[in-house]
Amino acid sequence: MYVYDSFDHTFVRERNAEFADQVARRLSGELSEDQFKPLRLMNGLYLQLHAYMLRIAVPYGVLSSKQVRKLAHIARTYDRDFGHFTTRQNLQFNWIKLADTPKILEELAEVEMHALQTSGNCIRNTTTDQFAGAARDEHTDPRPWAEVIRQWSSIHPEFTFLPRKFKIAITGAAKDRAAIRVHDIGLHAKPEGFDVYVGGGMGRTPHLGHLIKSSLPGEQLLSYLEAALRVYNRYGRRDNIYKARIKILVSALGPEEYARQVEEEWNTLDKAKIDAPSAEIVRIRSFFPDPVFTDKTFDRVALERAQIADPAFARWVKNNTHAHKRDDHVSVTISLKPVGLPPGDASSAQMDVMADVADQFAYGELRVSHEQNIILPHVAKTDLYELYRQLDAVNLSTANGGKITDMIACPGLDYCTLANARSIPLAQDISQRFADAELTDKIGDLQIKISGCINACGHHHVGHIGILGVDKQGIEFYQILLGGRADEKAALGQITGKGLSAEAVPAAIERVVQLYLKLRTDESERFIDALERLGRDTFAEALHEPA
Amino acid sequence: MKLLTANRLTDGVTLWHTGTGWSEDAAHAARLDDEQADALLTDWKTRETEVVGPYLIPLTPDGNPVQREQVREFIRANGPTIGQTADALSQAHGRADIFES
Repeated sequence: MYVYDSFDHTFVRERNAEFADQVARRLSGELSEDQFKPLRLMNGLYLQLHAYMLRIAVPYGVLSSKQVRKLAHIARTYDRDFGHFTTRQNLQFNWIKLADTPKILEELAEVEMHALQTSGNCIRNTTTDQFAGAARDEHTDPRPWAEVIRQWSSIHPEFTFLPRKFKIAITGAAKDRAAIRVHDIGLHAKPEGFDVYVGGGMGRTPHLGHLIKSSLPGEQLLSYLEAALRVYNRYGRRDNIYKARIKILVSALGPEEYARQVEEEWNTLDKAKIDAPSAEIVRIRSFFPDPVFTDKTFDRVALERAQIADPAFARWVKNNTHAHKRDDHVSVTISLKPVGLPPGDASSAQMDVMADVADQFAYGELRVSHEQNIILPHVAKTDLYELYRQLDAVNLSTANGGKITDMIACPGLDYCTLANARSIPLAQDISQRFADAELTDKIGDLQIKISGCINACGHHHVGHIGILGVDKQGIEFYQILLGGRADEKAALGQITGKGLSAEAVPAAIERVVQLYLKLRTDESERFIDALERLGRDTFAEALHEPA
Repeated sequence: MKLLTANRLTDGVTLWHTGTGWSEDAAHAARLDDEQADALLTDWKTRETEVVGPYLIPLTPDGNPVQREQVREFIRANGPTIGQTADALSQAHGRADIFES
């Protein structure tokens, strides 16, 4: 992974010192809340319903075991012993004291972490494929490019006060696991160059991104991004917060006209001053080598025996491992979705165990997925059973990767000042309803995504089943969307049926799922495929209690 | 009648005005008449080294926040509803939940 040089260390240290001074001046009364709020947000510090929330950047979701141990320490020392992993592959602490924040940032800097650009109208953390550098279907490792973008976008003087926040996602695999079509800019890294999608996004007005450039050479990526951002920065709607995202501009201009303006701007730029020199790209690539893979011989028979002897382990191997570029390795998903508990949460003790098993079995590397799970990207198959047993001892062995209980849920009204309705209790109720492992396996791949408000932090627009919490004169209601997907066939779900109470949602989903099980051609036809074949109307009636 | 609430500057903890000062426990919140509530709010809006974002919560005759505020204020008063016992303010204060959910 990328290692800070002296510039990075100095930069983070200076920013921390600056923020420590701002906190001191706020506490003394020298700064008013109106003056302080934009400053704290630039450092990832929000004030939520019950306390301050600190959002820590995890660049493109990559973590070392040392960093995870530090996060565990912070959870234990400064928070309530747990952290919440987010859909932007970051980590949030929900119970932070303002006065502790400078010390926390100091501790983070010790392990090359910070909270910069996790809020505000700037370029946020670039997200990517959680299996980057490991997946069998990958053609280009997106991590070096994500790092190139991180360095370019960090306190970029022109793009620190954009019309609205700006999110970039990048994939380098045939299967899109980074949801690139629902980002302000989505990049598909291919051997021949980048496909550039612009104007995607969720929130109040969801849009899928449009392809505006193909085969863009990597050496010209930054200047092209600079041109794309510059057109947006110039014409984005600063007069109306609800129309300020790039998707609105691209939609208003039309993708062809927007692309033309970007091209025109690009041609005026002195590209050599903006693009990373080839030698720099090579240098950054050098931070992302393969680990020195173990030479332990893979004992296939032993693994098969263990699976026969322990069906729970067999199920975990089936659901929570992903094909690796090496035959003797896999990538492992550590599910943070145990039945009945908040999606994406991990206790400090669990974080410590994840760091330990990463050191023992995964070359010290972990990832955060945008589905709010933790990934061990490189695990020798020979080590799977021992890894499973250690995870199982701390309730981290839930075998539901990609299944109906592997839900995305935003923090919702239990924590968030923006939310209209609760998300986490609903996710808990749904996971209880589908707690039967046999049933979830029978259902197969099905993604539920829950947002507590229209801002769509829970990605409800791209859930196979999306759930949107709304406030109806002080009462929480939930709209159900069907047919969304965030993969390479990205589609936006459509609101289906009338809003439901929280109590009615789990049963409604169960009726939809039972109908799917009845109508699917066979076990290989996934829920989303059946939905596309049969149409939403087929399932709409099932959402509501039969009269 | 109204309640006056805010978050404490130093740690963001939810506070409730008792009529004479602030309490972390919503059970001690004073039901203020409108005139008293407005005067206290005006006063506390300027005392920014102590609290952040003070505001008034209108109450129904039975003492609950008005409908449009009810869920949010129930959660602020009693903590997240997601079953983490460490977060249950009602338990921390040794009382039952207040306000109707």
